[in-house]
Amino acid sequence: MSSTNKSIQEKTAELNKLVEWFDSEDFKLEQALDNYKQAEKLASEIEKDLLSLKNEIQIVKQKFDSES
Amino acid sequence: MEKTQIKPIFSVSDFIAVVNQTLEYAYPTVEVEGEVASFKVNQGKYVFFDIKDAGGSIGCFMSVWQLRVPIEDGMKVIVSAVPKLTQWGKFSLTVKTIRPSGEGALKKSFELLKSKLETEGLFAPERKRRLPIVPQHVAVIASTQSAGYADFIKILNDRFGGLRVDVAHVQVQGTDAPDQIIRVINYFNQQESLPEVIVIIRGGGSADDLSAFNDEPLVRAIAGSRIPTLVGVGHEIDTSLSDLTADVSAATPSNAAQILVPDRMEIIRAVRAQVISLLPRVLQLIDGQRQSVKDMMINVIDAVERAADEQMRRLLSLRNVLTQLDPNVVLARGYALIRGNVKVGATIEIETNKVILEAEVKNVINK
Repeated sequence: MSSTNKSIQEKTAELNKLVEWFDSEDFKLEQALDNYKQAEKLASEIEKDLLSLKNEIQIVKQKFDSES
Repeated sequence: MEKTQIKPIFSVSDFIAVVNQTLEYAYPTVEVEGEVASFKVNQGKYVFFDIKDAGGSIGCFMSVWQLRVPIEDGMKVIVSAVPKLTQWGKFSLTVKTIRPSGEGALKKSFELLKSKLETEGLFAPERKRRLPIVPQHVAVIASTQSAGYADFIKILNDRFGGLRVDVAHVQVQGTDAPDQIIRVINYFNQQESLPEVIVIIRGGGSADDLSAFNDEPLVRAIAGSRIPTLVGVGHEIDTSLSDLTADVSAATPSNAAQILVPDRMEIIRAVRAQVISLLPRVLQLIDGQRQSVKDMMINVIDAVERAADEQMRRLLSLRNVLTQLDPNVVLARGYALIRGNVKVGATIEIETNKVILEAEVKNVINK
């Protein structure tokens, strides 16, 4: 995970919100560059987080050969 | 002197007991292959049938709960049984397990059970539950030594991470396999922290190898699992009753991993594409703004030009009026301008277009 404590889902949701802003009535040209930079940053973080995720595989110790 | 040999004299019951002891010592369990005949179930509890071939026939007995696959007359089967002499002196096999033998019998048994379970609605689409898009906690039932399991884990790790994966090792073929798998299904269903999906996988094999997944109690355990199930057994062409009952069926263990989690590389590509798509959109918006400003400027210039034209028109109009009022213009039209006192005897000045005259007033007549 990257420096922030946000999950990938939270970052993805944030990115989606930013992307939607570009199509919304709130869009302001003056703010577009800042929001674009923020979207780029979020995309990089999501990529980094996804690539660093590892699965935690545990073998169940209990035996199932016979009724316990 | 001749030695006399003492031969024991048994009671009938003792002799039967001794024969059974001898049989138990010699053949604790036997596997016998043959064709089923005179199959019947008594009182819904006891199963009787004969197993025969061209040279002989043996009576068989078993409990109905031990019957895990549909059996009917004419079907070739392998029974695992304990040979026994009954108290009535009849030799029989007490069957522990029975399984169809050979492709024809396996197929027949498969079709019979499939039809039965289908009638009960176990394969109905409305029973199917959706799997979570990105599960956090999954349970896997597999033989951890199998190639199918290795494929599954490799693809799972390649595609996504961050999952808790609890793996239960079981036999995935043979007569013990169904019960082991059922125990694991029950085990996971009783956990305090329930996995979101149970994945049951097994690589390819012969019809006999895969027949464990056509076991009726196992199929019912899959159907009864409160945790959604994903089953990937065999190759693409194999379909087991476990596949048909599962909430989601995968063609192979690898395919099960593909269904279970999204591909992180695809997500990354989609996220990148999402951000890249913003730039042309911003440029398009800037172009739009630019055009809008341009259009406004054109409108302003048009308005100014129209106002200037109007002013010019008014000016020309006034100039015409003023021109008409100019005395020289009036004189040019032949009129004369008279200055002085208009009374008899007075001298007045008369100005025409070309000359100025002095004249004396001779008479004044009022109009």
